[in-house]
Amino acid sequence: MKTSIGIAGLVLAVLAAPALARAQDGRGAVPGGRGGAPASYPPYTRPASAFVPPRTPDGQPDISGLYVAIPLPRGIETPLVPMAGRGPNRANSEFSYSINERPKLPEGAIARPVGVDPPDGKIPLTPEALARRKEIIANQEKVEYLDGRVLCLAPGIPRSTIPAPVVGYQIFQKPGYVVIFYEQNHLYRTIPIDGRPPLDPNIRKAMGVSRGHWEGNVLVVEVTNFTNNLSNNWVIGAVSATPGVPAESLTTGHGIPHSDQYRVTERYTPIDANTIHYEAKIEDPKVFTQPWTIAYYAFARAPKNYVPVEYACFEGNDKNLLLMTNTDITGIRVNVP
Amino acid sequence: MTKPLRGIGAASVLAVLALATAAGVARAQRGAAPPRAAAAAPSAYSGPRTPDRKPDLNGIWQSVGTAHWNLEAHSASEGVPAGFSVVEGGSIPYQPWALAKRNENYKNRLNDDPLRKCFMPGVPRATYLPFPFEITQTPNHIGIAYEFAHATRTIFLDGTAHLDDLDFWMGDARGKWDGDTLVVDTVSLGDKTWFDQAGNFHSDALKVVERFTPIDATHVSYEATIDDAKVFTRPWKISLVLYRRIEKNLELLDYECAEQVYEKLFKQKTGKS
Repeated sequence: MKTSIGIAGLVLAVLAAPALARAQDGRGAVPGGRGGAPASYPPYTRPASAFVPPRTPDGQPDISGLYVAIPLPRGIETPLVPMAGRGPNRANSEFSYSINERPKLPEGAIARPVGVDPPDGKIPLTPEALARRKEIIANQEKVEYLDGRVLCLAPGIPRSTIPAPVVGYQIFQKPGYVVIFYEQNHLYRTIPIDGRPPLDPNIRKAMGVSRGHWEGNVLVVEVTNFTNNLSNNWVIGAVSATPGVPAESLTTGHGIPHSDQYRVTERYTPIDANTIHYEAKIEDPKVFTQPWTIAYYAFARAPKNYVPVEYACFEGNDKNLLLMTNTDITGIRVNVP
Repeated sequence: MTKPLRGIGAASVLAVLALATAAGVARAQRGAAPPRAAAAAPSAYSGPRTPDRKPDLNGIWQSVGTAHWNLEAHSASEGVPAGFSVVEGGSIPYQPWALAKRNENYKNRLNDDPLRKCFMPGVPRATYLPFPFEITQTPNHIGIAYEFAHATRTIFLDGTAHLDDLDFWMGDARGKWDGDTLVVDTVSLGDKTWFDQAGNFHSDALKVVERFTPIDATHVSYEATIDDAKVFTRPWKISLVLYRRIEKNLELLDYECAEQVYEKLFKQKTGKS
């Protein structure tokens, strides 16, 4: 099986560099890393790659195509939390790929937790934001506090790039634009790379407003103008809360607030023909005491014959909300133009 | 799908010629319109092309009209402008039971229109909602991003087969170029979407064939043939014009309909407690 070969390769790589202790996907994670271990990871440096992508007809580095996410640990926590009781193959369980094949890290990749700055890997929340986050985590049975992704709201940036149960991506390129379709909740972003000015701050978008440019072969995108009309619009994190993880840690999307000042600078670095590395610097002076950064190998080119399918989230979500929070939304109607 | 396509082909060429004449960009035409099977039907299109020599549909488009309220001819009513029918021949050829159901739908439209529950609009309704949509065109895939409820479609032009046994709100779309016309064949649309706010509906047997025929750089003739033997007595066709939005620096914005559902819900809840 290809899958086992991939995993074996990964484990070998980890063994060969014992100081790294664990792979990006958490396999081989050893308990005891929490609390002090981050210093044992090498300092983060941006991956250097000699890979030169082909060019699109209009001269952009060509990164277009179908991709699937490279799995991260269950959360994006730093330090990594050991995943007790999980079997060796989690494909089609919490990572439900349409394919039963796990994408793997490129050769020579340094595996490390995704929180790269500050080096302690904790989210530099202000005391108010930390208190708010604890309140939200403690109230997940109430719909007003429920994770926006469970409500099928657009999860914003960088959350849409953090592996979730539906993890396909389609990158298109056309003159002046890079366009990303996310299989998760049929989200999309159109990223102009034509140097146009920012949008009026009165215009807000759930996925933010993107302005991109190429720095060599690296796509750099500034994302601003995020929606914050609902207290459930959380743009950071992944999947559900890991029990016992402190609220400052880089895990889950649960309740990391953001203000109208929230902005993200993304870097998409093609490492080889099959892999894109992702870095996101997150800034919000009203919520964080300093900018902070996550980075990881995010996209692996999808296997041949991979067909993205529609993930209709909101359309069937009423039953889910009834079960989870005893809230009935079936009677609500909104005016449409 | 080959059979209906053949029939439609010739008709649509005629339609394009008519439109082209109206738009004042007509070329000299000799004789009758050639059948679709003929190699590369003569095209009135002289607008920009992509590197693979297809008409360049990249950009933001929008329909203008009243089809999203009612595909058929209708007088004005509260909040609804009057409009012409976009249905070829005027009215939709419902089977008798289905016409009765449509009329029932119309009565209950404020409650039953799936759009008012913020569900994805389906095909072809997404095309003529009063919201723009953006086409991203590559040789193998065409992506369409819709502003309403961030619905998307990926149209495969690379020979990928239709998927079996699954239904999708926005359907399962496969496309090909017929000369300068993009032909999109969409199946697996399920039975939960409507065609408009007037309760026009379909079953899970719906198949839609759309033809995007560029007239010039900023106009596309759009036709959709609706085939659903469970509901209609015969296939029928709608025709619209799509207009390119040419405002500088325009981009799709958000109509996050689901947010509005939750805003209503939270308002109700805080009102109660």
